[in-house]
Amino acid sequence: MWNRLLKSFEVLAALLAFSCVTFAQTYGTPGYSPGAWKPDELPKELSKPKPFNAHDLSGVWSTPTTAGYFERHSLNDKWKDVKDKKIPPQMRSDASPPPMTEWGKAKFDANKVSYGPRAVEPELNNDPVSQCEPLGYPRDLWEANLRPFEFIQTPDRVLQHMQYHDTWRTIWTDGRALPKDPDPAWYGYAIGRWEGDTFVVESIGYDDRTWIDHFGNPHSDQMHLVERWRRVDKDTLKLDMTLTDPKTYTKPWVAETITFVNPKAAIFEEICSPSEEHRFNDEIRDESKAISKP
Amino acid sequence: MKRNIAISTIFAFCVLAWGAPLLAHHGTGVAYQVDKWITLKGTVTEWIWSNPHCGILFDVTDDQGNVVHWGAELGNPHQLSAAGFSKDVLKPGDKVTITGHPSRSGAPRVEFNRMVLPDGRTVTTGGVKGNGEKADTDYETPER
Repeated sequence: MWNRLLKSFEVLAALLAFSCVTFAQTYGTPGYSPGAWKPDELPKELSKPKPFNAHDLSGVWSTPTTAGYFERHSLNDKWKDVKDKKIPPQMRSDASPPPMTEWGKAKFDANKVSYGPRAVEPELNNDPVSQCEPLGYPRDLWEANLRPFEFIQTPDRVLQHMQYHDTWRTIWTDGRALPKDPDPAWYGYAIGRWEGDTFVVESIGYDDRTWIDHFGNPHSDQMHLVERWRRVDKDTLKLDMTLTDPKTYTKPWVAETITFVNPKAAIFEEICSPSEEHRFNDEIRDESKAISKP
Repeated sequence: MKRNIAISTIFAFCVLAWGAPLLAHHGTGVAYQVDKWITLKGTVTEWIWSNPHCGILFDVTDDQGNVVHWGAELGNPHQLSAAGFSKDVLKPGDKVTITGHPSRSGAPRVEFNRMVLPDGRTVTTGGVKGNGEKADTDYETPER
């Protein structure tokens, strides 16, 4: 009896192990790209470490997810350690912005979100991401949890290549100042300079239709960002950010230091297709439709 | 004995991995009962391999012979590829067994967690991080 039980247990374990092994075997392979190049299709040189240079930001970066899968989704993202399993992880964390102005509060209240304590039913949210609208900056950074970004350095600019939407943010390093009166842009206008081993990026000119995070925290076209990037070792990038937006917040929003790690993965094409998202919303997500036409 | 310990370890790991969905959809937590599970046997009518979300439409026949059209919600192709899925993993007519979290509204919708394919293989989205790497912890018991 015991042997028979053990035998069934072994069969079940083998079946389970198979499903786990399918994805486990590719981890830690530099250049690994899910759905495309397999590890044995990549040049062996990719595995050789490059000498460390603090002024070289290049590489593919993501935020670590060592505890829970919502590591970081805003300048500050406080995880509430609730014991109630009925509260989903999407609703267990929230940002801690500074006090808002009247203008900021009205904008915040109008934002119907899918995450955090204010989350509404999927079909009722007005998060730009649900329509494949641009995430903008800095929101795209928090997506690094799911989708990495890549720094590419050229003689006159640093390019920040976001996996999501295949978006490119240009940080000019040719000595120019910020534009005086720019037209709003989804990813703003950015200039960068080195202060010792810190790459300092200043940016303005952001389109106020984007949200700062998926909790619906807003910003205006007066948002001014200062980012201080430091490559502290070959696998770690640190970011300190201060967001100043007097039209929306009564004082600057200083972020907790954000850590990015090199996930050894390649950038993968991940374009949010409006027609595909619309189809998904229509056929799967919008449950009211499923109820009315079973 | 050693073999038994090894098998038990694999078993424990996989059970834990199954409990950690990679999905992070808009409103998923609001729409689904994340503390409840449902298992459905059905026939695939459509495999939606699309960005930024994938979905499975499948028909389930109840005891009275009524056919209910179900939908399962999955992550994006990038995440799913890392979890061992592909564009060709399903086709209309495939008989599958799907397990996940049921909807709160009572709509025939399920937040996908795992599936037994026609050839008996099990594929799961559990245990894979959004960036395609292995999850370190079960999100339902975060160590924070």
